[in-house]
Amino acid sequence: MPLRSLRLTTCASLACALLPLSGCSTSQLVARGASPLIEHGMAAMNRETDLELARASIPANLKMIEALLLADPGNVAYRVQAAIGFHGYALGFVEPGDRVRATALYQRARDHALVALERAGLPQAMLAGDMAALQQALAKLGARAVPALFWAASAWAKWIELQLDDPARLDELPRVELLMQRVLALDETYYHGGAHVFFGVYYGGRAPMFGGDFARAARHFDRAAEIGQGRLLMGEVYRARYLLRQTGDRTAFHATLQRVLDAPPAGDPELNLANALARQEAAVLLNQEEDLF
Amino acid sequence: MRRTLLGFACVCSLFMAMAAHAADTYVLKFATLAPQGSTWMKAFEAWGKELASSSQGRLVVKFYPGGISGDEPDMLKKIRFGQLQGAALSGHGIGEIFPPARILEAPFLFRDHAEIDAVRARIQPAIDAGFRANQYELLAWMEVGNIHFFSTRPLPSLDDLARRRIWQWQGDRFIDAFFDANGWSPVALPITEVYPALSTGLVDTVVSTPLASIAMQWAGKTPYMSPQPVATGIGAVVVSNKFFASLPADLQALLKRTGAPLSQKLIADTRRDDQKSLAVLARRTQPMVGLQAVDLAEQAALSRKTVAALETRKYLSAELNRQVDAALARHRSGVK
Repeated sequence: MPLRSLRLTTCASLACALLPLSGCSTSQLVARGASPLIEHGMAAMNRETDLELARASIPANLKMIEALLLADPGNVAYRVQAAIGFHGYALGFVEPGDRVRATALYQRARDHALVALERAGLPQAMLAGDMAALQQALAKLGARAVPALFWAASAWAKWIELQLDDPARLDELPRVELLMQRVLALDETYYHGGAHVFFGVYYGGRAPMFGGDFARAARHFDRAAEIGQGRLLMGEVYRARYLLRQTGDRTAFHATLQRVLDAPPAGDPELNLANALARQEAAVLLNQEEDLF
Repeated sequence: MRRTLLGFACVCSLFMAMAAHAADTYVLKFATLAPQGSTWMKAFEAWGKELASSSQGRLVVKFYPGGISGDEPDMLKKIRFGQLQGAALSGHGIGEIFPPARILEAPFLFRDHAEIDAVRARIQPAIDAGFRANQYELLAWMEVGNIHFFSTRPLPSLDDLARRRIWQWQGDRFIDAFFDANGWSPVALPITEVYPALSTGLVDTVVSTPLASIAMQWAGKTPYMSPQPVATGIGAVVVSNKFFASLPADLQALLKRTGAPLSQKLIADTRRDDQKSLAVLARRTQPMVGLQAVDLAEQAALSRKTVAALETRKYLSAELNRQVDAALARHRSGVK
């Protein structure tokens, strides 16, 4: 092929490739080009086994994602990654020592996820409006919305959990429940059965008079363990922290947390960081056992 | 040989010192329905820290929040068996210890918090004595909030309440008497069954505080609310007499000394949360019209008849009620 033809073909291919992006600014194009880097960055972080290294490096990664979002605010993938990142950082590294700062970070995680949810078809105004209308709007969402739904609900629930002294936050809890119920209906396997862990905590962490249901909680934890094949240890830590503490079952509490500490590596390197954090929390809870029972 | 004896003596003294230290540490196992992270639990935890620091670690409070120890009758049972030593209770639990104190939550008796505060200040010694005579030391008085009606349906007139299925906490003789006097038909259920009962229609109306209604998620099912409170729910922080008596005098004094500021904080925080909860509910509830223009004088008179009936049944105390009436008259006349 003559050089000129090659150049023309290349130009034509480029033009075709850029056609769908014709509405994008240069900075958006650059931001989107960083997508593989961000995805690999997230994967590398998930594989980290050194908690101190993770603690020190996550903030820079989060700010990198937020920088990209400044250039490309409607980028759903980055919004979800920011939600996952802020939620995980707050949960693993901030909440144990600074609940006020963690509260703000959970809110930030939720807000990122809500932008992604809006792009998936759920306007933010619906979340504060009539419950029946919210339920109808959620019913229209498809599987594409699951990541945004799951992380929005997870971060929102933590945001509420750290503000149980605020009636306005308590009043939002049924809305979070609706979001997570939709996740359960669309894809119960998302994030190793994460929606089941959520409902395990939801029904297991409260007395029956406040809507708790211990048998239902146990079924959700069991289903999460089945879906995740027991590889994600945090579900079992939450079973002990919420359900077994609430039911006063000290023997099971101790045995469950000890199993987490004794569990072999998951085999899936993407769970390294999550499981290291789970082991850390299991150790902390075991140290508190005498005070909790 | 001498060295061995000396060593043995040293070990013995060390052991005895350790034993004495261990014996000097008192653990107060304390239960509450308030969940971890709630306003009350924050106040209780601050109180627990103060007790530990002021006693140099000799008095330690171990909390069982969020109903971990069961509901209030369960808590009282565990206190009797020595599994717990203290608890935070609402009027329901107080009714198991010293029912006459419930005069302070009689419907339509008081017009506002200022009247309640003035009357309680006068009768507090009698309430303290009543708890003590019934095996409990009252450390701090509290309130659970203003009590309203919440309903799944509109209420065009007060008479319609007679045709409503109103939830009543199972086994609560005090509330039962007021329902009876008004000709209302209660549906007696444990508190755990109210949420499903509102869903199925077994119950269509509840009496509750705004905060409890939100926290228990009843509010989502009850879009109608009485605009005015019918009473202010009472509460108490108690320890068993047995535990209190086992403490050295300085720790008894510490518990009593910290009770008053704890009481003030709990009451102020509860009143603040009540207002916040009302603001949340105002956005999505409609008033129960039938309770909008209640004849307060008529309701107060009806309430007094019920109080008299409860005196006859020895649930309330005629003598304490006389003191309440005198203190209320004194407050209303402006006499200090």
